Amino acid sequence: MGEKNYVMGNAAIARGALEAGVRVVAGYPGTPATEIVDECLGVPGVHVQWANNEKVAFEICAGASLCHVRSMPVMKHNGTNVVTDFLMHVNFTGIRGGLVLISADDPGGLSSQNEEDTRILVHQYAHLPIFDPCSPQEAKAMVKEAFDLSERTELVFCLRPVTRVCHARGILEFEALPQSLPAAHYEPDRERFIMSAVEMPKFGGVKRPQIRHRWLNEKQPLLQEIMETSPYNWAEKGEGNVGFIGCGMGYTLFKEAEQYLSSKLPLLKLGTLPLPRKRILDFVKRLERVVIFEETEPLVEGMIKKIFQEEKVAVEVLGRSGFVPPEGELTLQMILDTVPRAAPQIKVTQPEVPTVAIHIPIRTRTQCIGCNYRGILNALKQTVRKYKGIVAGDIGCHDAGSFKPMELQSTIYCMGSSIPMASGMALAGVNRPVFAFIGDSTFYHNGILGLMNAATNKINVNVILGENTVTAMTGFQPHPGTGVTLTGEKTLSVQVPKLAESLGIRCRVVNPYDLKECRKALEAAVKEEGPSLIVSSMPCYLLSTRRGEKVFEPREVRIDSGRCSGCLICINDFGCPAISFDKPNKKVAIDPMICVGCGLCIDVCKRGAIL
Amino acid sequence: MKMDVVIAGVGGQGNIFASLVISQYAMNKNLNVSGAETIGAAQRGGSVVSHIRMADGPIYSPLISRGQADLLVGMEYIEMLRHLRLLNPRGTYLLNAMKIQTVLSNMGMDEYPSPEEILRAVRNYCPRGYVIEASALAKKLGNIQMTNVVMLGALVKVLPFFDYDEIKWLTNANSPSRFKEANVQGFEKGYKLIPA
Repeated sequence: MGEKNYVMGNAAIARGALEAGVRVVAGYPGTPATEIVDECLGVPGVHVQWANNEKVAFEICAGASLCHVRSMPVMKHNGTNVVTDFLMHVNFTGIRGGLVLISADDPGGLSSQNEEDTRILVHQYAHLPIFDPCSPQEAKAMVKEAFDLSERTELVFCLRPVTRVCHARGILEFEALPQSLPAAHYEPDRERFIMSAVEMPKFGGVKRPQIRHRWLNEKQPLLQEIMETSPYNWAEKGEGNVGFIGCGMGYTLFKEAEQYLSSKLPLLKLGTLPLPRKRILDFVKRLERVVIFEETEPLVEGMIKKIFQEEKVAVEVLGRSGFVPPEGELTLQMILDTVPRAAPQIKVTQPEVPTVAIHIPIRTRTQCIGCNYRGILNALKQTVRKYKGIVAGDIGCHDAGSFKPMELQSTIYCMGSSIPMASGMALAGVNRPVFAFIGDSTFYHNGILGLMNAATNKINVNVILGENTVTAMTGFQPHPGTGVTLTGEKTLSVQVPKLAESLGIRCRVVNPYDLKECRKALEAAVKEEGPSLIVSSMPCYLLSTRRGEKVFEPREVRIDSGRCSGCLICINDFGCPAISFDKPNKKVAIDPMICVGCGLCIDVCKRGAIL
Repeated sequence: MKMDVVIAGVGGQGNIFASLVISQYAMNKNLNVSGAETIGAAQRGGSVVSHIRMADGPIYSPLISRGQADLLVGMEYIEMLRHLRLLNPRGTYLLNAMKIQTVLSNMGMDEYPSPEEILRAVRNYCPRGYVIEASALAKKLGNIQMTNVVMLGALVKVLPFFDYDEIKWLTNANSPSRFKEANVQGFEKGYKLIPA
């Protein structure tokens, strides 16, 4: 018996990988996957690191795998998109040491810019196998098995946990870690690992991509056979001719729903792709209709429809193509609303609770009190207003500047898109100053490419780099500008002014706690032709405070209510949560309980009413 | 037997510490434990809710569903309100009398209800509960971040499921060494906030 621990799903995944003898772990931080990488730290012989971006992380792991070492790239769904190009090659070559991709999806976009289902990308597009866990415990077991199966099939295996698995907690048994890990070695196999449009004499001159494609296709029956007997798929007996299929969290929520249903219904739990075809056919033998609960696209639903068509099975298949809501994360409520519509004889007895007839204010996101981004965003807001500028935004803490009250950035898409999009706006000839705002972690992720493009093509964009020296939003992971590695070891940090110099871009470094300096630099940049870069440089306030380091000299800030005219500029153009508007008196107030005394608002006020 | 607890608050109030103490307590009692945290993307200031599910039988969903919570701990007025319908109307609530404005209410673009209105709505929903000045007490003790341990102390008195000595021990054991003494003191004072 191992030691029992109450841990997060992400820790369970990390533990599974460590017990399986993973040797190289690389990722890029992103909710809900971030903690998986952190949790792999501290085991001798296991290399754990943050990479610039997910593609780099994946390629590191692929290199390790070709040396017969087990490796695990970790990312959220957006990262898997970034990896797509490599994935569409490594699926053809296969791997050597077990390689398990963790692609965490965030149904409902709880902490993401979009919601998507990476099962489609990894399974439908790249034809690679996936495990879809229903709990932290199952996620751990699946990761361990995925390493073995990855080696046995020579294929990348994928674990696709959703937020409710990553961030769930449960009691887990920890087993011993392997005493020794196999040594790395490399033998060339150019026919396999050189992906190129070369004719293959062995195959009568057929091009290599087709031969490798055939190799991948020929793996599918083996995968099918493995999943047919997988312990992660099972059927539960029930009454009636309407059956239900729960994939991953869909199963968990259905089990939770059972306590409210008038009878036990036939239930098939699925956790693998490819699907266990025979088990599914067996399950529906006496059924007329099945309803599938899956996260999030109707993927399994479509695959089952295809199986039924091929096998001439006349069972109605319903699911997230519309019978179950096609957007958002699955909830218990969705299941309870769906079951009686599919099986009208079933009564749902969920406890009724009174409605709460009171307005509940929503909490929108904003920067932390004391955050240095608020300074540069305020200076930019004023510059943009004066010169009728447009701001393309990016991913990261600064994105809260796009919401009320500031409403500064006009676009936010995905990692690194700010500078190219701003470039396109400039090239379109809008005849207004165009800005791109990007944080430093995002800049190193791939934003740097947009800057090089703007430099070499001499595009008139003003780039503001919010350099807070850390990936703050996901919990302070180091990046190439931090100067330390994940393990805390000192390393070089990229010097952006030198980089700008080599690109021939005018670069100005400003202190975001000095609004005058920020405004001056922004105005100068606007008046210049060609690309310019402003580096707003100051370590993250929250992290610095935690380390006992000061990024400003705290002072007591108060309102001179005699001078305050209630113009609201401190709220609308700055939006610090410590400042509030006292409606009856038409004056603002500072909450001393939460003000940290950065003093930025003193310069924001035009009337000198903040002292 | 089952005990479902929801802790609702704002990022930075220490929900997660409190939920870990409760979970460890249940584990030590050999109960099955499951739970989840929902945390927004921002480091501070967003809604944060922890679900802790404890039972002597199997637990499926890590999330507590409508009307199932036996105890709702509100670290802040509207955060408690936001999750009120998870509470069984015959259950118990424990509310910290603390108001944290939202971005929009700060701007005068949204109306933060008055504490009286909120309490009326809460009492209409569930008659059994306690409202305590945990943050005010934590601040008096020297650090508003101790709100969570004050709330833990109060919680022990509210429900006999929790054992005073064991929760106190776990509060101490989970605190970083420089906060141990203060946290235990906060816990003890929190216990005394609830009338016998």
